[in-house]
Amino acid sequence: MLQFITAILTSLSAGAIYALMSTALVLVWRSTRVINFAQAGQAVLTTYIGYEVTVRTGSYWYGLIAAILSGALIGATIDRFFMRPIFKRIKSGPIVMIAPVVATLGLLGIIQAIIGFIWGLSYQTLAAPVSTDGYKISETVIAFSPFNLMVLISVTITMILLTILFQKTNIGLALRASAYSPEIAKLSGIKVDAVRTLGWAIAGAAGGLAGMLYIPNSYLYPNGMDVLLVFGFIAAVIGGLDSLFGAVAGAMILGFAINFVATYVSYKLVFPTAFVILILVLLVKPGGLFSSSKGRKD
Amino acid sequence: MIRNTRMKRISIVSAVAVAGAMVLSTLPAQAADPGVTSTEIKLGLSSPQTGTAALSYGKLPKAMKAYFDYINANGGVYGRKIKLVARDDKYLPTQAATQTTNLVLNDKVFALVGALGTATHTKAYAAAQLAKNNVPDLFVNTGFSGFDNKTKYPTTFLVLPSYAMEAKIIGKFIADTPTLKPQASFLVAQDDEFGIDGVNGFKLAGHAFTKTTLYPQGGLSSALAETALTGFSAAPGKPVIVLMGTTDTTATILKAAEKLSLTTKFNWIVGSVGGDANTLLALGVKSTTIDGVMAASFFPDAKDTSDEYVSQFMKINMSYNPGVSFDNVVLQGMNSAMLTVQALRAAGKNLTRAGLIKAIEDKGSTFASAGLAPLNYSATSRVGYNGYWFGQLNAKGELLPYITGKRTLYTTDSTTTSAPVLSTYERKPIPKNGIPTN
Amino acid sequence: MHKISANRKRLFTFILLGWALLLIGDRIGELRQYQGAFVAMYALAIASIILLTGYSGQLSLGHSALMAVGAYAGALSINNLKLNPVIALIVAALVAGIFGLILGIAAARLSGPYLAGTTLALAISLPTIANQFTILGGEQGILFDIGAPPARFGEGFSQYKWFFWISSLAALIMIWMISNLMHSKFGRVFRALRDNQTAAQLSGINIGRQKAVAFGLSAGVAGLAGGLLVMLISGVSPSAFPLSLSFSLLTGAVVTGVYDLKGVMLGGLVLVAIPEIADSIGSRVGGSDGFTMALPGFLVSALLILAVLFLPNGPGKLLKKKM
Repeated sequence: MLQFITAILTSLSAGAIYALMSTALVLVWRSTRVINFAQAGQAVLTTYIGYEVTVRTGSYWYGLIAAILSGALIGATIDRFFMRPIFKRIKSGPIVMIAPVVATLGLLGIIQAIIGFIWGLSYQTLAAPVSTDGYKISETVIAFSPFNLMVLISVTITMILLTILFQKTNIGLALRASAYSPEIAKLSGIKVDAVRTLGWAIAGAAGGLAGMLYIPNSYLYPNGMDVLLVFGFIAAVIGGLDSLFGAVAGAMILGFAINFVATYVSYKLVFPTAFVILILVLLVKPGGLFSSSKGRKD
Repeated sequence: MIRNTRMKRISIVSAVAVAGAMVLSTLPAQAADPGVTSTEIKLGLSSPQTGTAALSYGKLPKAMKAYFDYINANGGVYGRKIKLVARDDKYLPTQAATQTTNLVLNDKVFALVGALGTATHTKAYAAAQLAKNNVPDLFVNTGFSGFDNKTKYPTTFLVLPSYAMEAKIIGKFIADTPTLKPQASFLVAQDDEFGIDGVNGFKLAGHAFTKTTLYPQGGLSSALAETALTGFSAAPGKPVIVLMGTTDTTATILKAAEKLSLTTKFNWIVGSVGGDANTLLALGVKSTTIDGVMAASFFPDAKDTSDEYVSQFMKINMSYNPGVSFDNVVLQGMNSAMLTVQALRAAGKNLTRAGLIKAIEDKGSTFASAGLAPLNYSATSRVGYNGYWFGQLNAKGELLPYITGKRTLYTTDSTTTSAPVLSTYERKPIPKNGIPTN
Repeated sequence: MHKISANRKRLFTFILLGWALLLIGDRIGELRQYQGAFVAMYALAIASIILLTGYSGQLSLGHSALMAVGAYAGALSINNLKLNPVIALIVAALVAGIFGLILGIAAARLSGPYLAGTTLALAISLPTIANQFTILGGEQGILFDIGAPPARFGEGFSQYKWFFWISSLAALIMIWMISNLMHSKFGRVFRALRDNQTAAQLSGINIGRQKAVAFGLSAGVAGLAGGLLVMLISGVSPSAFPLSLSFSLLTGAVVTGVYDLKGVMLGGLVLVAIPEIADSIGSRVGGSDGFTMALPGFLVSALLILAVLFLPNGPGKLLKKKM
């Protein structure tokens, strides 16, 4: 019984982190129609920045702010100076779909290499700001710590803020319009390029947050968030790339599935489970669980 | 349009240029053994310098090089300086195959030292045609007992005890220790050569685990570790958990135990690969958690400055490998380097590949080394160390004999069910200043 | 008449290339022969990507898994079925092709990033799956021995030259076959899929079926490349097909022009040459450990970005008209 409860709790925590990554990927997709593989690199880079600030100032919170802010800055910079020239050069043909993806792959490699240059390749650890020891409930320690709680609360707040942003504000409308139909958006006076950069900035900030929330439970090294990227992407696809809610739902589904299959069947099946869930969902709903029924061929 | 033809021309020109370069770089035939001149001996090492395996083995090339530099500064081997060419194979078989081939054909090394990994080196051995070219393959850093095979790997010499040996000896230790024997026991192992050899070894030892958990490399997150440990904690008493994986996963599991206040619930045994206390501490495991963790080793503890080999290697490390902290991997690397120097010396001034191989077969078992287990090289055996002693870590991360003051070493093999035997082997004293004169 | 002579011209070009390669193979040293064999293998793998992406417009991030399927099939047929190694390579292509066809049917309704995600998930699960079945040899994998060169070639014919011959010829023949296919009706159908699915559907093309066929063909080519790879490293294991291999293939395809098969040899060269160049730059320039070790990755990624920025359609023909 305890293991069952533990499995639920740890799935929640894992799913929350996946949700941040999948959200960041969905954000970029919704505003630019690009799968940003560099997300893993950006998130790690901003976490290194946060780590440096934490080490120098002695406070995790300053580091967290630094990570989020630098995440936004780096995201915006990448869009403005890297993705925009690419979009300008590639106007037609299927290369439109492929080139940005491949470019972000290249960017991922460069970011990881730069991290290696500056910080070396060894593993670093980042201490959490609150206790990582599990709460004690009448003699039993459960697999849920103050830090886990902090992660869940942070992710929930972020999701709420983002949903409000997208659904209830003008900027959110602009973001959605620019992605869906850039020409029409431009005609209605929306500065599509600037709005898109904003989308990347928000996604970068979300990635920075994800890193600072994930690394205390793992290790900081250039490839430290690669697995997270893969799971985040799969979660986003499961949920439907068009839906922020789908990103969270997909992340939770994936987190629970992996955890339960691993615990009760075999730990060896961690990766195949992700694949199977993905295939099952896509066989039934090719656009992901919560995608809009438009089902455009993108 | 112009851009098209220009681009096309450039691509054709570059293709032709490269083809031409390939043709022009034909190699003249070699008569004597490559890699040896009157002033230099070239050795090659293919190991993971980047990637997760580098966490455990990244320090290896520089440690070996440091020892070689020390020897070079003290006359070299009969006047020849040793040059180590280290290539990064990222622990991937394809890279290992190409890098080892590069070492043989491009860098033209005399011999290979310290090759790492089973999946990697089995491919590299065949790809680089080491057998055909009679390239000595010294002191490979892997516990794969299959390399002890003169037909298949005629030029290979192991040095580390196999994981199967380690598992057999851990199995015996559990059976012999009254506080451990009646407990439930769990094995958590990486689902590749680290773990599987270990699983087999425990079978040979006749030890049955309550549950064996295998996980894919990089696939055991803290969340999964927590659920696993919660499951194990249902067992009564103080169960034994054996961890056979890399250091990062070992640290993840130990930290999960800290979170769940389960550190004292279990008797922890860590395998040699993932049990380096320094690294575990650096990865955030608390010293109170490390305190009491059991491990097997065939070396003295890397922190034991009273050991003559450790203190000598530490000195060399400080002078020739500055900035790198001295740990078990550095110890292992320098030890292998010292064995290599003795092998080169034993082969005589007229240095040939065949001569080197024969020298190790004839005299290898008499070489001085930091290992506390005997070396088993002979005309029929390519096995290096074949034993372990059992110890317990303290809060400082030092491995001390389990029974205080009494370091008992057991030796065994990798393939039979015969029980490990108590060894009376006495280690040879270190040559003066760590410079072999054999 | 016009079409026949185009095909004839292509055949002639390939035969000429074949002769040139064999002649070159005789002149270069063993190391270059070995590297050349890798170039041919990578070129073939890149061709499979071009077939899928450049011609039929589908994006796969999991071609390393397809190569692995072919590789294991080939290794098993040598070891367990005791087949002739050359037959084993054909088996590799066939098995991978069938696997790809099935996958393609399942994935037919998926567009762009959804297909990419699925192939990505496949690529990361493959090592685990390979570890599950003892017949697949676990982490050590299975031996793949293409055998020594035939005695009639004489003493001087090294194993590496044999690798080079097999790899280059296999790649050449396969690429020639694909090239023919792409210049036929098949090719036009694939390009229709890529450029305008709605129009293609309107002209009566069964989108789902053709996408699956394209996937199957691409997988078959990748499977052959996988068989060649394990021939070169003398054995197959799960770790020989990491996710980074998929990304490398994509890099190679983009750098050499994803629309055109003509650039594949260059792509193969890039994949083999760049890490080497990076290695030698790193050892010459020196610097901190982090620098030298991260340098190869940096160079490859930089090359990719430069290629995407400045040569998005490859150094070959630009897409000036519908090919």
